[in-house]
Amino acid sequence: MHSIRQTFAHDTWVMPYLRKYKWLLMLVLFLGTMTFLSAAALMFNSGYLISEAARRPDSIIYIYVPVVLARAFGIARPVFRYSERLTSHNWVLRIVSDFRKKLYQAVEVKASAIKQTHQTGDILSILANDIDHIENLYLRTVFPIVIGWLLYLFIIIGIGVFSWPTALLMALLLGVIVVVMPLLSVAVNGAREFKQKQIQSQFYTNLTDEVLGLTDWVISGRYADFMALQKKPIKRIATLRRQDHYFQWWRGFAVQGCFLLAVVTLLVWSGTAFTATKGMANWVAAFALALFPIIEPFLEISQGASEWPVYRQSIERVNALSNDQPKQTPQSTLTGPVTEINVDHVTFSYPDDDRLILKNVSLKIKQGEKIALLGPSGAGKSTLLKLLLGDQTPTKGTVTINGTPINELQQQRAQLFGVLDQQPYLFNTTVMNNVRLGNLQATDEQVKTAIEAVELKPLIDSLPAGYETEVQESGTRFSGGERQRLSLARILLQDAPIIILDEPTVSLDPITERHLLDTVFKVLHDKTIIWVTHHLAGVDHVDQVRFLENGVFDLQGTPQALYRDEPRFRKLYALDAGRND
Amino acid sequence: MIDRRLFKIPGIMPRIVMIAFLTLIQAVMIVIQARALAIAVVQLWRLKPLTTIVTPTLVFAVSFLARHLLTVAQNRAFYPFVEKTSGKMRERLMTKLFRLGPSLVERTGTGNMVTMALEGIDKVQTYLMLIVIKIMDMGITPWVILLYIAFMQWKEAVFLLLIYPVIILFMIILGLAAKSKADRQYAGYQRLSNNFVDTLRGLGTLKQLGLSKRYAGNVYSVSEDYRKETMATLRIAMTSTFALDFFTTLSVAVVAVFLGFDLLAGKIMLLPALTILTLAPDYFLPVRNFANDYHATLNGKNALKAVLDVLETPETNNRKVLKQLTWHADSEIKFNDVAFTYEDVKTPTLTHISFAIHGFQKVGIIGASGSGKSTLINLIGGFLTPDQTGHISLNGQQLPHLSQEVWQRNSLYIPQSPYLFHATLRENVSFYKPNADEATVKAACDKAGLTDWIAELPQGLATMIGEGSRGVSGGQAQRIALARAFLDDSRKILLFDEPTAHLDIETEAALKQDMLPLMANRLVFFATHRLHWINQMDYVLVMDHGRLVEQGTPTELASHDGPYTKLRAEMGGLHALN
Ligand SMILES: Nc1ncnc2c1ncn2[C@@H]1O[C@H](COP(=O)(O)OP(=O)(O)OP(=O)(O)O)[C@@H](O)[C@H]1O
Ligand SMILES: Nc1ncnc2c1ncn2[C@@H]1O[C@H](COP(=O)(O)OP(=O)(O)OP(=O)(O)O)[C@@H](O)[C@H]1O
Ligand SMILES: [Mg+2]
Ligand SMILES: [Mg+2]
Repeated sequence: MHSIRQTFAHDTWVMPYLRKYKWLLMLVLFLGTMTFLSAAALMFNSGYLISEAARRPDSIIYIYVPVVLARAFGIARPVFRYSERLTSHNWVLRIVSDFRKKLYQAVEVKASAIKQTHQTGDILSILANDIDHIENLYLRTVFPIVIGWLLYLFIIIGIGVFSWPTALLMALLLGVIVVVMPLLSVAVNGAREFKQKQIQSQFYTNLTDEVLGLTDWVISGRYADFMALQKKPIKRIATLRRQDHYFQWWRGFAVQGCFLLAVVTLLVWSGTAFTATKGMANWVAAFALALFPIIEPFLEISQGASEWPVYRQSIERVNALSNDQPKQTPQSTLTGPVTEINVDHVTFSYPDDDRLILKNVSLKIKQGEKIALLGPSGAGKSTLLKLLLGDQTPTKGTVTINGTPINELQQQRAQLFGVLDQQPYLFNTTVMNNVRLGNLQATDEQVKTAIEAVELKPLIDSLPAGYETEVQESGTRFSGGERQRLSLARILLQDAPIIILDEPTVSLDPITERHLLDTVFKVLHDKTIIWVTHHLAGVDHVDQVRFLENGVFDLQGTPQALYRDEPRFRKLYALDAGRND
Repeated sequence: MIDRRLFKIPGIMPRIVMIAFLTLIQAVMIVIQARALAIAVVQLWRLKPLTTIVTPTLVFAVSFLARHLLTVAQNRAFYPFVEKTSGKMRERLMTKLFRLGPSLVERTGTGNMVTMALEGIDKVQTYLMLIVIKIMDMGITPWVILLYIAFMQWKEAVFLLLIYPVIILFMIILGLAAKSKADRQYAGYQRLSNNFVDTLRGLGTLKQLGLSKRYAGNVYSVSEDYRKETMATLRIAMTSTFALDFFTTLSVAVVAVFLGFDLLAGKIMLLPALTILTLAPDYFLPVRNFANDYHATLNGKNALKAVLDVLETPETNNRKVLKQLTWHADSEIKFNDVAFTYEDVKTPTLTHISFAIHGFQKVGIIGASGSGKSTLINLIGGFLTPDQTGHISLNGQQLPHLSQEVWQRNSLYIPQSPYLFHATLRENVSFYKPNADEATVKAACDKAGLTDWIAELPQGLATMIGEGSRGVSGGQAQRIALARAFLDDSRKILLFDEPTAHLDIETEAALKQDMLPLMANRLVFFATHRLHWINQMDYVLVMDHGRLVEQGTPTELASHDGPYTKLRAEMGGLHALN
């Protein structure tokens, strides 16, 4: 009980829906109970019917009512059952769609940090496992248990009308089935199911990691290691599941045993209570048969209960994911056009990491200015961009646009920034759709123009499906450079005043690279551009070059001045052009 | 209903016979149980004292327990087989995954592949467990009961017999309809998990594009589509269950009424009538059970089909044509008019590729983006197989392709975008040689220029990296991949696909000094856009639109006017500052 209360204390995944749809829930429970009551009534009635008929009454009138009732119950049972199943499944599946969306939204809020805190496999396992589990919580635990208890109540009260002591005895016997067995199941089997689930979700996470890095596994030739990694969890799950099944079968047998006792009790009782007259003895068959249809829902109760720990973990996991949301800062909006971006004395280190990536860095960028950001790998260029975008907050100092701190402008960021990050992603859809993500309002013509600008038109035109070619997961249908250019095409479509490019031409040959840079700077001539690059090709397009090294800017100026005055810059330039050695 | 491939599973037939035998005994128990209960009730009905029902009640109890014990026995007898089969299937799936590699994942999708290996096999297990026992139950129990009823009262038996084909017919009609729906539903399920993985992997990009909020709608609609497909299947499955339920329950009611009239007319005694009435539900129970689990069965069947389809995907065969290989100074690899076409693409991506490379040459591969460099490297690495066999030879031996185990064991490949595992830095670096000692790992990191960075990490080599942990910069990721190569000096063939793309000029220049000794005494294929590497190469392949347009030593190429000189000249004009 305590654990149940704890699980639902901060729950936003189960309780709200129960409350929201309480009438539908009642309907499901009503229909479920009626199903089994009609089934029991059918057998009860039939037993009476033939017993009475066997007395050979003078007229058919005596059995007329049972005959009609037999048909009525015969029809009622399947109808109730059908409506119950249809209602409950439809309801549950509808909730599940809400769940998936909710899960996505919970993850989305943490988008920029999610890669550091969760693995794809984690979330996949939440999707495939936990959400299905919550679905089953209703179908396999909540509904059967409540329906089972309602039936139990009916039976006890029904017998209680005739004889209290028998009712008490039945309450005890059937109580073993509906109360003791479920509790026992949770105690014995719960831990096992829980453990099984845990291994399974760990397995999910690991396997996803392995599949994503499969190329390396294949080349490494470490077949035995790869298989060993899989075999261990497979074996453990198998063992647990075996024990789980064995337990379930024997429990099923035990339930049948209790049930047998209940039937015999009823038989003996009716044998003593209803044998005063012949007329009364007709009821004996009715009682003896009535109990049989009830066994089915009773069998489900224990199973439903023993799955509870699994559901509990799922509920806790999804709640943990959605409750631990980052704090929201109050948002403001920028009304005028962007005039100035100001990075003011910013110092930064990643949380849980004391290494300073940026030390007291300042940078002012005016509207329309083009900046190239250079620096050794790992110097913090991408980090600086994250700060500019508000994905990270400076440890010291501020980042503002027109004087407003950037973290207050997050709602507007898509209007403010067009970003091409270092590992742009192509979605598993068509070329057209992928590029159009840059601007959903863009017409087909505009999309095609953007693709032409990144020099992919001839290639796309040569494909049989043209713009409707599927790019496959993460764009594997295209070469590295082609993927890069498709992502760049998105940016060309985007209508934002500030464009941030993190190594936009990284997988391109120098000639294509040069063409592209020319295009980019031409198309985006009126925008502010912050361009991270490792190459000096095309650097003449920018107004300012900044070198980031050891957390500070150590070289800065116009490219022309740097070339004239800085020997190091000249050396790099020559190196890049492939002129020396 | 049943995938025929089911019967091909080794060892299934003897189990089926055993289950059939147990089911037969069980059916007899059901009859005894009904008979004994009826006797007891009739005694009471005749107002006989309680003592007269002791024996029948005992018989009832024993047969009742025996019946359920037999259920346990069936499960126990069959389960080890199911467990072994599904366990093996999972292992085979993993083996297949490893054998077919990324090409399989490209086709199936990451999310789908993972869910298939986990949930999918679970569903198969449930399916195997259900299908055999239920079908045996359906094939035996009703007939034993019917036989017994016929023995007592042929009229009711005929009625029950006549209703049975109607029920089966209903099931077949509805089952066929449900099947096509269930296939769609399974496809929907695969789409759903792939869509989610795709969305998650691209979440950062969505956020940059300002679309991440709106994408929730997409997730919802994919999920809703799936719900509708599921509901459509379920509705049919439930309707079929309903029809079945309706017929069977009504049949029981009809039998009861029949019996009532017969009793009234004195044509039958209470005992047989009551026996028939108790047996009637049991007559229908197997069909009903089957219908109840019908949906799970369909799901399992589809999962089984998907798994078997993957398992039956042909692997590249002849992977052991090459018996052994140690790459010497006089070894030679020869491509003779090799062509390659991607699946589902009409025109070949590579055509007329011919070259001969020998010994420890360093071969640069250059060309515009999309010209086929990565494809060529993949062919050389054996991740792709050429359109026709017999165009590649190694030391004079003709090979169908280079997907030779021995060749791959000798080669090392750094892809264009290396993947970092969710593991410690040490495990990532020593991925190809997991038992490398600390000093070697450190030396490799040092050569890859990672030492300074590692020194700054509080946990050094034990730092967790990859998805779900600390981020690394683009260049650092590439250097970790390089360190892998530095670590393993037994592999004499190196395949580099733009290994320095993400590095800045200075880091690259420094790294180059370390990489050059690594490349000595090795056969190296090096695809790159950075032309300064060409000066260090012994041989250059120039690619253009899938053709090898020029090849030779750098000096040869520079000495005459061809694609190479044109490329260099154009590039010289790129750096326009002076
Ligand atoms: N989430 C993180 N947590 C801790 N450290 C991080 C995180 N992300 C990056 N770093 C570290 O911060 C430093 C700067 O990384 P950043 O990605 O900004 O480099 P960069 O200049 O863009 O390099 P490159 O040119 O190689 O992409 C690196 O040493 C990196 O390891
Ligand atoms: N899986 C695939 N299916 C069909 N076509 C493909 C596939 N992968 C690549 N291609 C096509 O084959 C051609 C050659 O691609 P490849 O990756 O070899 O180019 P690349 O020379 O490495 O280019 P980059 O320098 O941009 O990496 C490209 O036009 C590409 O679109
Ligand atoms: Mg970076
Ligand atoms: Mg490539």
